[in-house]
Amino acid sequence: MIIRLHEVHKFYNRDTPRQVHAVRGVSLAVQEGEAVCISGPSGSGKSTLLGIIGGFFVPTSGLAEVAGVKLARLPDRFLTSYRRDYIGFIPQRFPVIGAMSVLANVILPLLPLGVEQRESEERGRQLLTRLNITHKQNMPAAELSGGELQRLVIARALINDPPIILADEPTAHLDSALSTQFISIMSECRAEGKTVVIASHDPLVFQSSLIDRHLILEDGAMVAG
Amino acid sequence: MGPGYLISLRRQRNLLDFALGSLWRARWKNGGIVVVFSLVIFIIASFRLMVAGLEQASTAVLATVPDITVQRLVAGRQMPVPLWWVEESGAVFGIRSIKPRVWGYYFHETSGANFTIIGVEDFPGGEPLPGVAMQAVSADEQVEENQFSPVVLGQAVHQMLALGDRVNVSLFRPDLTLKGFSVVGLFAPQTGLVTDDLMVMAIDDARDLFALAPHNATDLLISVPNPLEVDTIAQKLMAKLPGSRVITKAQIGKTYNAAFGWRSGFGMICLIGTVAAFVILAWDKAAGLSPEQRREVALLKTLGWQTGDVMAIRFMESLVVCVVAFLVGTGLAWAHIVFTDGFLFKPLLLGWSVLRPSLSPVPVIRFDDVLIIFVMSVVPYLAATIVPAWRGAMIRADATL
Ligand SMILES: Nc1ncnc2c1ncn2[C@@H]1O[C@H](COP(=O)(O)OP(=O)(O)O)[C@@H](O)[C@H]1O
Ligand SMILES: [Mg+2]
Repeated sequence: MIIRLHEVHKFYNRDTPRQVHAVRGVSLAVQEGEAVCISGPSGSGKSTLLGIIGGFFVPTSGLAEVAGVKLARLPDRFLTSYRRDYIGFIPQRFPVIGAMSVLANVILPLLPLGVEQRESEERGRQLLTRLNITHKQNMPAAELSGGELQRLVIARALINDPPIILADEPTAHLDSALSTQFISIMSECRAEGKTVVIASHDPLVFQSSLIDRHLILEDGAMVAG
Repeated sequence: MGPGYLISLRRQRNLLDFALGSLWRARWKNGGIVVVFSLVIFIIASFRLMVAGLEQASTAVLATVPDITVQRLVAGRQMPVPLWWVEESGAVFGIRSIKPRVWGYYFHETSGANFTIIGVEDFPGGEPLPGVAMQAVSADEQVEENQFSPVVLGQAVHQMLALGDRVNVSLFRPDLTLKGFSVVGLFAPQTGLVTDDLMVMAIDDARDLFALAPHNATDLLISVPNPLEVDTIAQKLMAKLPGSRVITKAQIGKTYNAAFGWRSGFGMICLIGTVAAFVILAWDKAAGLSPEQRREVALLKTLGWQTGDVMAIRFMESLVVCVVAFLVGTGLAWAHIVFTDGFLFKPLLLGWSVLRPSLSPVPVIRFDDVLIIFVMSVVPYLAATIVPAWRGAMIRADATL
């Protein structure tokens, strides 16, 4: 099991009037190379669950172990290294540094690792070629279309060759053609043996052949899967 | 990947590249900061270099001042000193030498300049001014040597007389008859501070030129080997020579320091105010990260950047801004003093006080002055940006979620 969650709870603003119990006792096991879709209505806790798996924050209680790393008690610094080494994250809305070139955006995760400029650019170009946007490598990221932006963000998530890919509502801002393109890129990653976890309530995603398992969250609790 | 130090070196390089790119992306804002900051450093550096230059100048001037100068006052005005004062003073124990001097100003109509004429006993036999470097002038033209009196000129005087290759020059006596001189030497350019406006000649020639009665001088220059005895000897001279004004070297030094010492202190206080204002400005700018900058930090954190990595780029950005502003500001200040004689701040430091010889700052770059400028400008800026940078770098990765 590459991902193991046991009785995980997550509270926001604990013990304040604004307390939210976003994840309520979720247990989940994902095998290496599996592709899982977590769906559920807006506010059901999908992003929070991805945040726990991705090491953005620790669960309030329960056990979370990913790739052998026990996340529950890690201080921030180690969560960051964990994220760097194991997670390729594709956030909603595809944030980039608009004034920087496509290639420079793609290699951002490698800069603090001390990878030599030439080597990281070579790796970036290979990924951009694979995703069919090499011709845009020197263009400012702000000038990309939605589909190109999506591919940039995927390339950036893959640059450090992570074993796990997390994507949060990746198709929410894409038309169906681009959504299909996204699914096929993820299928390739899965074929390479990467584990894919996607949070999405888009049927195009959870009904696709990419997905091995479809989980449904409701009010922070797992109701199916 | 290679050994640890190589990785860390490449990390620094990558982060520096990123920091430079990030400065360039906000070039208008950062350019503005550099301009303001350069200006602040320019002001600080100008003051510091001016004060250092004036200190240097006063030291150089004081080196040519005799241990004791004796003048004569009648009804509060300076009058010629009778030469019998020399014998009279000679009786005071502890004096090495007493030399009468004739000096005064000569207005040169063609150039509109005032020259300082000094007639000394040691010249032409010995050095015109003890310890002041001089270049000899070749003397092809000095045919009728007995008619022309030898003179040594400061560089500025030489230029204003527009002599070119000629060595002979005539000056007017008070009765408008002409007295001929032959230039036998020029003071070395590096002594310009004390020699620029000088014409040094034999004491008898100066007397002749100013139509001063024989057995008279303008003042007496007294040399005292033991500095501890200077004050006592000055007291004795005053008692021995009624109507004399006796000035010690230390008193002249005090006059110089009084003239610019407190003003430079005052200036420094004003500067600290300016710097404080700037620090607040820097703080204000840096503290309020724009939403775009916050998103950028959150994104970098999402991509596996540590707080330390983000801090490093912020620090590099500040450092680049500082170093550029420091070089520009200090360079301008230096140019301002070398090429314009510090015209912007000279009135503030020297004010209206009239000193003889007048002071002009010498451009000196001393390591400790540069250090002071650095400490007063770069350090407060870095200190002011570090806390906001740290707070900015603490933005969490999950802000991207
Ligand atoms: N940073 C936060 N602070 C407080 N409440 C939050 C925060 N993030 C999410 N929530 C709340 O937690 C619940 C689950 O949110 P989220 O995980 O974003 O759901 P989903 O991604 O399924 O829409 C929601 O009620 C949301 O308002
Ligand atoms: Mg969400």
